[in-house]
Amino acid sequence: MFACIHGPDAASLADSFSPFIEMVDQQTAVFSITSRQLGRLKSIRSAVAATVEAAILAARNLPGYTFIAPGEEARVLGALLIDALPPDPELFETFDLWGIKSLSDLARLPENDLAARLGERGLFLQRLARGALSRPLRPLIPASVYEEFADLEHPIKLREPLLFLIARFLHDLTARLKSQSLAAAALYLTLNGNQRRHSLPFPTRDVKLLLKLVEHSLERQPPEAPVAKVRLELIPTQPRRIQHGLFTPAGPEPEKLELTLGKIRGLVGEKNVGYPELFDTHRPGSGRPIGELLPFRYFRPPLEARITATRLWTRMFQGQILQIGGPWRSSGDWWNPDQWNRDEYDLALSDGALYRIYLDRAPDKWFVEGVYD
Amino acid sequence: MAAALPLGWRHFEPLDTLGAAGRDFPRGRISEVIGARSSGRTRVLHALLAASTGQGEFAALVDTRAAFDACSAAAAGVELSKLVWIRCSGNAEHALRAADLLIQAGGFGVVALDLAEVAPAALNRIPPTAWFRFRRALEATPTILTVIADYPLAKSCSAMTVKLPPRRAVFTGHAPFLLLRDAS
Repeated sequence: MFACIHGPDAASLADSFSPFIEMVDQQTAVFSITSRQLGRLKSIRSAVAATVEAAILAARNLPGYTFIAPGEEARVLGALLIDALPPDPELFETFDLWGIKSLSDLARLPENDLAARLGERGLFLQRLARGALSRPLRPLIPASVYEEFADLEHPIKLREPLLFLIARFLHDLTARLKSQSLAAAALYLTLNGNQRRHSLPFPTRDVKLLLKLVEHSLERQPPEAPVAKVRLELIPTQPRRIQHGLFTPAGPEPEKLELTLGKIRGLVGEKNVGYPELFDTHRPGSGRPIGELLPFRYFRPPLEARITATRLWTRMFQGQILQIGGPWRSSGDWWNPDQWNRDEYDLALSDGALYRIYLDRAPDKWFVEGVYD
Repeated sequence: MAAALPLGWRHFEPLDTLGAAGRDFPRGRISEVIGARSSGRTRVLHALLAASTGQGEFAALVDTRAAFDACSAAAAGVELSKLVWIRCSGNAEHALRAADLLIQAGGFGVVALDLAEVAPAALNRIPPTAWFRFRRALEATPTILTVIADYPLAKSCSAMTVKLPPRRAVFTGHAPFLLLRDAS
């Protein structure tokens, strides 16, 4: 049986009956109830029924305490006006045209004909009106914190014993996540009060992978002092579900790729690994392409150049100017410190290459930005 | 279907059939694209990446000099969301190590190692065994390792070398109002 309490302090009242409560709205709480507890409900505006929805409808719309015996739902709820159902302006207009005023009017309609005229939504409302819509209780479960902590008497100086401790934490935490059908979305490791955050590109419970990520992080950035306090927290999320296609080319395994990129990040730096992205801007080299573009290679940073009417010099190359196209003036972001304001030229040099050069109008200097290739 | 190359490059037929047969840029092998500045190395690279990512594969670019232009690559048809981009700040040693790790990880259609514009002194320090190692690691994988360089580096380890001749700029209009159209 399910009980529903409707009133301003529904949550606290429901809490005195059961730890598992579904809050339908601020003033309506539903929970599972035993026959022994029924006596305490009689002084409260509440309803008891065999289905969750019938209990909610009765508690919201009938005064005082209502007990609906199994099989009596349609009879008890039948007296309610059609407005007691969840609002659906389109269907309510149809009901009005049909002369349906109460739930009993709706409950009496033949199911097949109703479904043919009003579809699934109409059938849903009729089941509600009959009190026959059965669904499980959806209790509010407070979010668990997946965290392990150790305050060590003897600080750990070496990486291996620290990883051993972290591996134990990870085994325990991932087992807890597994029991709740969850996976980790991020890993927060706090050593001596300094927190390292690892956002995982995909939810995982793989201890080996998580441990490897921690190991790479410790290799890249070892703790500054022997570790006396270790706290590990896994942020839970729904596990990954992938539908592989028969004809989809196989990509890199996410676990393996993340470890590989972790190693490469250690080699070339965090900011040098990723995937390119274009922005909604007209800034040269950052915006989305408009039309066909010649393939281009950048000199990063741009090469400072000295230019005359016939020659160009940089620290890497020099040559005679054969042809020159331009200028193409562009400017933008004048309200930002990193504004740009420049005149671009395309240049064919005597070394056989085609360069893009520009005059930066703020410091009035020439640069070679790159080469068309 | 692999992306077609822009007009003017039709004679370079092999790339058009990259994905269909894998016979032009052979899978599981090292290929080299060599040439001087403006010879079209980047155009070939973009076409290769576009063909690979267009088939739904993932590709990786080890960009030693951080020269990659995402804008023109996107215009050439490269799906940027399927491209892992690694910049090595000019360090050829890091670039080789990164390429090695990517090949070992597996699952990429193309791993492009861009060593163009790298100082010859740094390139000369690459031991020949590195290329043998790559060749061995690539065997029995569907990955194409493409090396972009100013001159041949992998030598006998390379299954195919594309030498690109110098090209000439095509400007239209009359001086001083010239417009760069292409290189041919």
